[in-house]
Amino acid sequence: MSDWQERITHETAPAIRAEHELRYRIAAPLVLGGGPWCDLGCGNGVAAAAALGDARPAHAVLVDIETAAIALASAELGMPETVQLDCDLTDPVDLQRIDQALLDFEGNAAVTCFEVVEHLSTFLPLLDWAGRLARERGATFVISVPNDAFWSIRNPHHLTAWSEGAFEELRGLLPSEHTLLRQVALTGSALVAWDGERVQHELEVGAGGEGMVASHFIAAFGPRHGDLWRGAVAVQTDMLEQRRWERQRESNVVLAEQMAREQKAAIEAQEEIIVAQREELREHTATFDEWRTYIHELERELGRPLAGTPEAMQREARAATDLHDSSHSADPVEPPA
Amino acid sequence: MKVAFLVNDLQLSGGVGVVVQHARQLSRIEGWDVTLILVREQDGLSWRGYEHLAHLRVRPREEALCEHYDIAVATWWETTFTLFELSADRYAYFVQSLEDRFYRHDEAEQLGAGLTLDLPVAFITEARWIADTLAGLRPDAPCYLVRNGIDKDVFGPLEQAPINAAQPLRVLVEGAPNAWFKHVHDAIHAAAAMREPHHVTVVCGDHEALGEVVADEIVGPLSHREMADLYERSDVVLKLSSVEGMFGPPLEGFHRGATCVVTPVTGHEEYVEHGWNGLLADWGDLRGTARQLDLLARDRELLHFLRTNALETARAWPSWQQSSQFMAGALLAICREPPPASAAGAARLLADLRAGVDAYNGHLRERMDFARRAMRYERPVARLRRSPTWQRLSVLRRNRLVKFAARPLRPLTRRARELLS
Repeated sequence: MSDWQERITHETAPAIRAEHELRYRIAAPLVLGGGPWCDLGCGNGVAAAAALGDARPAHAVLVDIETAAIALASAELGMPETVQLDCDLTDPVDLQRIDQALLDFEGNAAVTCFEVVEHLSTFLPLLDWAGRLARERGATFVISVPNDAFWSIRNPHHLTAWSEGAFEELRGLLPSEHTLLRQVALTGSALVAWDGERVQHELEVGAGGEGMVASHFIAAFGPRHGDLWRGAVAVQTDMLEQRRWERQRESNVVLAEQMAREQKAAIEAQEEIIVAQREELREHTATFDEWRTYIHELERELGRPLAGTPEAMQREARAATDLHDSSHSADPVEPPA
Repeated sequence: MKVAFLVNDLQLSGGVGVVVQHARQLSRIEGWDVTLILVREQDGLSWRGYEHLAHLRVRPREEALCEHYDIAVATWWETTFTLFELSADRYAYFVQSLEDRFYRHDEAEQLGAGLTLDLPVAFITEARWIADTLAGLRPDAPCYLVRNGIDKDVFGPLEQAPINAAQPLRVLVEGAPNAWFKHVHDAIHAAAAMREPHHVTVVCGDHEALGEVVADEIVGPLSHREMADLYERSDVVLKLSSVEGMFGPPLEGFHRGATCVVTPVTGHEEYVEHGWNGLLADWGDLRGTARQLDLLARDRELLHFLRTNALETARAWPSWQQSSQFMAGALLAICREPPPASAAGAARLLADLRAGVDAYNGHLRERMDFARRAMRYERPVARLRRSPTWQRLSVLRRNRLVKFAARPLRPLTRRARELLS
C-alpha cells in the first residue's frame, strides 16, 4: 500500500502530504463550523491532524474500510471519543450506518471524502446517499479525485479513472449549487538563517492560468459549499529522504542492469552450448544413419526383416516372449539351431 | 427502476453498441429492470456482434406499449417518434451526435432530426461538445454528460505499445463507405498517396459500397474482438470524418497501441492531442495527410512516442462499468427532478419548424424558377424536333458516310445533345 502512497503516513513524501493537508485545510471552516464532522476514508488521520492544527470539532465520525486505520486516525487526531465505523462505501446498508451515526449529533454535518471515490468499485450508492444527505439534512460534502488522465499511472488500487472529462460527468450529477476547484502542484525554494533555525515565511503564490494542469479535482456541495478556504500550502522538501530515494533507485537500476547483463551473458553461453550440442547431435545422427544403412544391408543379405521396421519389432517381441516362456517351463527345450 | 431504451434495430454499429453496453451494465445493478425496445419491425432478431449480450431483454414496440416505465430513453432521432407512445414517468433523449448533420441540406431527414432536439425531454449525451451545443440550444432542458466507456475486456490496453522499427507503416482505415461524412475514400486516397513503404488495411462492412479501391487488404465486417486484433497489428488509425459524435475508433486503437491521424472532427478534442498521442490533419488536405503518414513512416521514434502516449491516454479512459455508473446517476437524477417544462421546447420546436418551412419554400421557389426557365427552352426545342429538316437530319445521321464526314463535329454535337437533354 505505501508504495502507492494510498495511505498517508509520517513517512510519506512531503509533497504528497502537503497535497492531502491542503485538502483538509480548505475544508477546515466546514469541519470546525459547529456540526459533526464525518471523514469518509479517514486513513491514518495524519493530514487531517496537520491541517486542523490545535482546533478540533466537537464530534467526529471516522469512517474507513480498515478498523486499524480508524483507530490510528483517532489517536493521531487526539480524539478518543470519535465514532469509529468500518464501512464499505459501496454498500447502502453501511452508508445507512453512517447516516444513523450523524443523526446522534446536532447541527449540519460537514463530510470530507478525499481520494476515496477512485477506490470504489461503484460510486453510485455514495453519490446517491451524499446527494440525499445534502438535500434533506443540510450536510455539506467536500470530495476530491486525482487527475489520473494526466499521469496515466496504472495504479492497481484505483478502480475508476478520473480526468477533466470524468469530473465533468460527475459535476452533472451534483446538486446545481456547488463549488469546484482544481488543485495544482507547487515547487519553490526558501532562505533560512545560517544557523538553520526554523522560520515561518509568508508566501505569495501565483497559481493557475495557461498551461495549468490539475493534480486533483475538488467539489463541494451542500448549503455551506461556498465556505471553503482558498489558499496554498508549501512545505520544506525532505532533501535527505528524496536523495535517499533517488540514490536507492539509481543503485537498484545499476544492480538490475548488471544482473540483466549477467543473465544475458549466461543466456548467450547457454545458446553457444545449445549450438555445440546441436552440432554434436547432428554428427551422431549422421553416424547412426550410416550404421543403420550398414545393418540394413547386412539384414537384407541375411534375408531378415530390417531392424526398426514393424515386422522386425514384432519378431523381436515374439522371440522375447518365447524366451520368457522357455525360462519358466519345467523342461527347457533346446532352441532351434 | 424500470428503464426502456428505444433503438431502431440491433445492427452492429457504434451507436447501438453504446446503448447495448449501457443496458448491459445497468441491468447488473440490483433493482434495475432494463429493456431494449425495437421501434422498427424486425424480421428476425439478430444478435450478430453482440452474442455475449444475448441475455438482454428486448421487446418489440407493440409489447412495450402495454408496459409502464420509470423512464423511457430515445437513442436515435427516429426513435423519438415512439418515445411518447410509451407510458413513462420521465422521458429522456440520449443524443450521440447532432444527427441532422448526417443528412445533406436537400434531405428532409435533416429537418426532422433537428426538430427532435426541441422535444420536452431531459438530455443525456456522450460528448462535451454536444453537451455545450445542447446547453446553447436548450438552456431550459437538463443535460447530463455520460461519456462512452471502452470495453476493456475486448479492447484491454496493452502492457506496452508494439514496436515497428522497420516494417512498412501499417495504416488502418475504418468506416462506412456509404456515409458521406466518414470520407472513407478520401482516407484511402491519402494513404495511397504515401511515398514511404506502407500497408493499408480497410475495414468495411459493405464491400459493394466501397467499390474498387487501392488497398493492400480489405476486411470486414469484423466482430469487436477481431477489430481489437486488427488495431493491435496497426500502427496508425486514419480517419478523415467530418461528422462524429464521441469518435470511438481511434480511442479503441489507442487501447491496442495504435496512434491516429485524424481530422479535427467533433469529439477528437476529448482525447486526441496533436503531437502527443496522434496527429491532426487539415480538412480536405489529402496530400498533407499523406505527408503526415510519410513522416510517421520515416520517423519511427515519433511513431513510437505517439503510440506510447496513445496507450497511456487509453489507460485513463473509463470502462463501461464506470461510464454506466454515470448513466445510472443521470437516469436517477432525471427521475428525481421534475420533467422539463414543455413551453420552452414547444416554442423552440415551432421556431425551428418555421425556419424549416421557410427553407423548404425557398427550395420550392428555386425549383419553380428552374422549371420556368427550362420550359422557355423546351418549347422551341420540341418544335425543332418536329420539323421536317430535323427528321431528315435524323435519317442522315444513321448514314455511314455522313457519320464519317461529321466525325470532326462530334465534340460540338455532343455538347448540343447535353444542352438539349
